[in-house]
Amino acid sequence: MTWRRWLGALALLGGLATPALGDRLLSTMSNDEIEITSSFDGEKMTFFGSIAPDAGAEQKFVNGPFQVIVVVLGPTADRTARQMTHNFGIWLNTDQVTFRKFPSYFHVLASDRLADITDITTLTTQFILPESHTLVPNNAGWWKTAVFGRQLVRLMTEQGLFGVNESGVNFLSDNTYSARLTLPSNAPPGPYIALTYVFKDGQIIARKSEGFAVRKIGFERFLALASVQQPLLYGVVCVILALFTGWLGGVLFKR
Amino acid sequence: MQIYLPIAEMSVNLFFLVGIGAAVGFLSGLFGVGGGFLLTPLLIFSGVPTSVAVASVTGQVVAASTSGALSHYRRGGIDMHLAMYLVLSGIIGAFGGVATFDLLRDAGQLDLVIAVGFLVLLGFIGVLMLIESTRALLKRRSGIVVRERLPNQHNWIHGLPMRVRFKKSKLYISVLPVLIIGLFIGFVGSLLGIGGGFIMVPALVYLLRVPGNVVIGTSLLQVVAMMAATTILHAVQSQSVDIMLAFSLMVGGVAGAQFGASAGKQLRGDQLRGLLALLVLAVAIRFGLTLVLAPADAFSMVVSGTGAGS
Repeated sequence: MTWRRWLGALALLGGLATPALGDRLLSTMSNDEIEITSSFDGEKMTFFGSIAPDAGAEQKFVNGPFQVIVVVLGPTADRTARQMTHNFGIWLNTDQVTFRKFPSYFHVLASDRLADITDITTLTTQFILPESHTLVPNNAGWWKTAVFGRQLVRLMTEQGLFGVNESGVNFLSDNTYSARLTLPSNAPPGPYIALTYVFKDGQIIARKSEGFAVRKIGFERFLALASVQQPLLYGVVCVILALFTGWLGGVLFKR
Repeated sequence: MQIYLPIAEMSVNLFFLVGIGAAVGFLSGLFGVGGGFLLTPLLIFSGVPTSVAVASVTGQVVAASTSGALSHYRRGGIDMHLAMYLVLSGIIGAFGGVATFDLLRDAGQLDLVIAVGFLVLLGFIGVLMLIESTRALLKRRSGIVVRERLPNQHNWIHGLPMRVRFKKSKLYISVLPVLIIGLFIGFVGSLLGIGGGFIMVPALVYLLRVPGNVVIGTSLLQVVAMMAATTILHAVQSQSVDIMLAFSLMVGGVAGAQFGASAGKQLRGDQLRGLLALLVLAVAIRFGLTLVLAPADAFSMVVSGTGAGS
């Protein structure tokens, strides 16, 4: 798509903005559906936006400088972090903490260092910091929750499912930005939300959320659904396939 | 070329999968075993979730054993009566194995039990096979003719009650040891994702004294039937059978097995058994090391509840 078309789309897809301070955010993104096919190996997507005066505002221009944070939040699932310890000469899992409704994917793109954009309280209460997702009450007690939460965020980061990119948002002009995100091949399928925050002097002046979906399509979707909805049939088909492959191998190679 | 595995929800190189399928298939054809005991660990070590690896390899074992079972069947190398007892008790064992598998997965101890299971089982069988084959090799070298054990030589197992006549195997033995062997292999096989041929063959030979001409065929048929049942059980209960993964492995495995089988004709039986023993021991040691050595990362994570849709 050309830039001109994107700018046209920006004007159309303005959507809702918070009325605060008379500025609003117009934004859009390159795909609202990411399809997992058999050759799925990750996908790049781009978020665009522009900060404009509110409709009907007297001021016809906006005053920067602005900072933008785009938070991409994947589907949630219960996730358990486990710790191995050395007992009786062998290593085994001895302790665990389960985090309910924990994001399976969480990436933060920012135009500047997060600490320079706003204070830690805002970052935490708005769930912009990855660690803030582990700070929800848990029956394991706060100390264990904190320790296992840090480790969980580290593990998720190592798998490319969590991340913070403090140069992920680029300003094209004073009030127009673009942000690039590469969804990895292990991005879990499900509904995603992209939350965009516009900051000025450490305060959120506009925000917007947009949804997109990562879906298995075609044969992959069919298989994944079949394994859950028709598990017996799925198993029988697996066995028939195996018997057939084995038989065919024997015939082809004439053992 | 990357291929997306819909159940494992990861993208893997297709050539890698077909390649390890072929390599393991070659070895399985060479030694006449299903190859599950090599494939499951290889997949686990290459990052496939343990539950998906175990469940999908059961499907691959079915394919790997089918052509062998068919050719033995045509040659009349299967004692159907004996196989029936083994298969029925094996399927009951598999129910227990799959249920245990689920319990362990939820408790976070599946990897531990699989590692310990492989270590104990492979270590034990590997040592036994190594001793037996070394003895045979030494005797051959010193010129002593190894006398094959006769099938009608009895041991205490043959004195148990509930005796049944197995015509093809020329045996009149109690069904109890037959059922126990079947149950055990069904349980262990479904828990560890192995066919259990390398346990079944020695058990039939040394415990039941099944004659050599029907041992391999009967064992293969038992592996096919039991692993087919286990695949369905895993598909229904743990829903972790990845058909794409299983199929990629099958294609490689079935092709590799044919080359392995022809290569196997170049080697003598005791040499083959010695090599297999070393291989089995190597896998056992590898699992032993993961238990004893400090892990690279003491922390791990799993998805323990749903929330993600497809």
